[in-house]
Amino acid sequence: MGRYAIRRLLQLVPVVLGTTFIINYMVWQLPGDPFAGRCGQRPCPDAYVTAMREQFGLDQPLLVQYGNFLKNLVTGNLGVDFNSVSVASLLGDAWPITIRLALMAVIFEAVIGIGAGVLSGLKRGGFIDNVVTISTLFLLSLPIFVTGYLLQWLLGVQLGIITPTVTDEATVPELIVPALVLASLNMAFTARLTRTSIVENLRSDYVRTAVAKGLSNRRVVAIHLLRNSLIPVLTFLGTEVGSLMSGAIITEGIFNIHGIGGLLWRAILDQDYTVVVPVATLLVLVYLLANLLVDLLYGVLDPRIRYE
Amino acid sequence: MTEVLSEQMGSGSHAGALLEVDNLHVEFRTRAGVAKAVNGVTYSVDAGETLAVLGESGSGKSVTAQTIMGILDMPPGKIAGGEIRFRGVDLLKLPEDQRRKIRGEGISMVFQDALSALNPVFPVGWQIAEMFRMHRGTSRGEAKKKAIELMDRVRIPAAKERVNDFPHQFSGGMRQRIMIAMAIALDPEILIADEPTTALDVTVQAQIMGLLAELQRDSNMGLILITHDLGVVADVADKIAVMYGGRIVENAPVYDLYKNPAHPYSKGLLESIPRVDHKGHELYAIKGLPPNLLEMPTGCAFHPRCPYRRDNCVTDAPPLYTISGTRGSACHYWREVIDDGEH
Repeated sequence: MGRYAIRRLLQLVPVVLGTTFIINYMVWQLPGDPFAGRCGQRPCPDAYVTAMREQFGLDQPLLVQYGNFLKNLVTGNLGVDFNSVSVASLLGDAWPITIRLALMAVIFEAVIGIGAGVLSGLKRGGFIDNVVTISTLFLLSLPIFVTGYLLQWLLGVQLGIITPTVTDEATVPELIVPALVLASLNMAFTARLTRTSIVENLRSDYVRTAVAKGLSNRRVVAIHLLRNSLIPVLTFLGTEVGSLMSGAIITEGIFNIHGIGGLLWRAILDQDYTVVVPVATLLVLVYLLANLLVDLLYGVLDPRIRYE
Repeated sequence: MTEVLSEQMGSGSHAGALLEVDNLHVEFRTRAGVAKAVNGVTYSVDAGETLAVLGESGSGKSVTAQTIMGILDMPPGKIAGGEIRFRGVDLLKLPEDQRRKIRGEGISMVFQDALSALNPVFPVGWQIAEMFRMHRGTSRGEAKKKAIELMDRVRIPAAKERVNDFPHQFSGGMRQRIMIAMAIALDPEILIADEPTTALDVTVQAQIMGLLAELQRDSNMGLILITHDLGVVADVADKIAVMYGGRIVENAPVYDLYKNPAHPYSKGLLESIPRVDHKGHELYAIKGLPPNLLEMPTGCAFHPRCPYRRDNCVTDAPPLYTISGTRGSACHYWREVIDDGEH
């Protein structure tokens, strides 16, 4: 297990190098000069553009730039954006908000998704099963921005139950609806996956054995059935943490949440690549680590999987 | 002489047998129609007695066992009639919570494929210990100790070291021993073994049968041994019930049946065992296919495959004729079958 973890960790190194190189290369290749349009109505003087290019190292060859990026990444120096604001402080403000939003979304996915899936799987063809099947289909067929704007309009504007946008503090109660929106697709999929898994395992021999052992119905379901049925579900939830991060960009835009997504969105519009690159790198790292964690967790959940 | 055995069968079974299955009917509602899996099965087992239930796939032997345990999938299964009396009480009329207490404590079951019947994500010792913890409220530590003792009793080498291993880390024979340990944990009065050796190597089969027989002797259990393999039962069983098409077609003390079967189907089964002294001869096989449960043949269910068939076999279903106090055969021409003598 330990050796496996180290090997997997080492495998991440070339992946991180490759992805960050592509990110660096692509953003500087995009059309338009980021400095040419920074002087209001007038074109910027050549001297300013040259000075800025020099300051951010854009005059140097790509590989040198990438080398500098890596050096800064390792030393933890993320530099400043084009307005001379420290990127580290931008991230420090935005990161906790996105983490809060994503964590809430994962909790909703797990609690509501698994709960609905178990209930509908245990009573296949029953009322709850029909409700779950129809509502998950509904959620799955709506893009996340439609769900977002719809809830914002209905709950925020028409009914006034929530404020349509989130304040700078982004408190937990304010984030409930955005987190539900962010979670909606994965929640629906989790419910369906759980249902399928429960239905499949309900017919399995070891569940029959558990009944034959004279265990209570509750114990058969909660211990024997659930433990096995949740293996694929937890794997799914883990690998989808990465997609939550990209979903957060849309959700944060709709509800005006000042998290990583909002930061990245504005930076792309401003062509402020000094922000885009570290944020994108951070998202890559989160995604890779989440996947690694899932792979390691899988061995704990299912003893038949052995690493070495 | 040719009376109908109405209730009990076999030796030593009278009104007070420990477990009595009485005229049990079980059906399966499928899209294609109603499949009558069990049609009036009657048998009984007493403490210390071994009943072998013999029959091919679809003969209803496993469904009967599942109905006794109360683990039949309902729906599609449906109990259409009959009684299952354990210590004189009809299990089918008991509320679920009382039935649950009998599972494991009173009647216990060993399944065919231990790999899929054991839970893959829990250690084997934990699964055995669960019996004590849930039925007796034993503490975790104490239950684990008892689990190790049981693993020793079913002769799993190095039980103490292996108690935390998972089912997939054991060989087939060892896994079946763990199933058995789990089933006998609470000293049940009846043990049902549903094809316990079918998935195992021949050498291991003998060991497992020996273990079952030994455990049964030690604790005076009633053992119901379900199998399709005549070779397996000869040494172990006291009496045999042969099932065909959801009915018992012959029951007899084990020696009588081997020596001189009284039903053409039992005779066919015996003749299809390969024998060294018949080397070079063609291996006998019962002609035709098992009956379709959705469309049972009229009259005797075995008539399409029967070498003794007469016209009335097609129209009249034979009752279970009494041959002697402990023998019965559901064949109109059982005398002829017996007179044909030893196969």
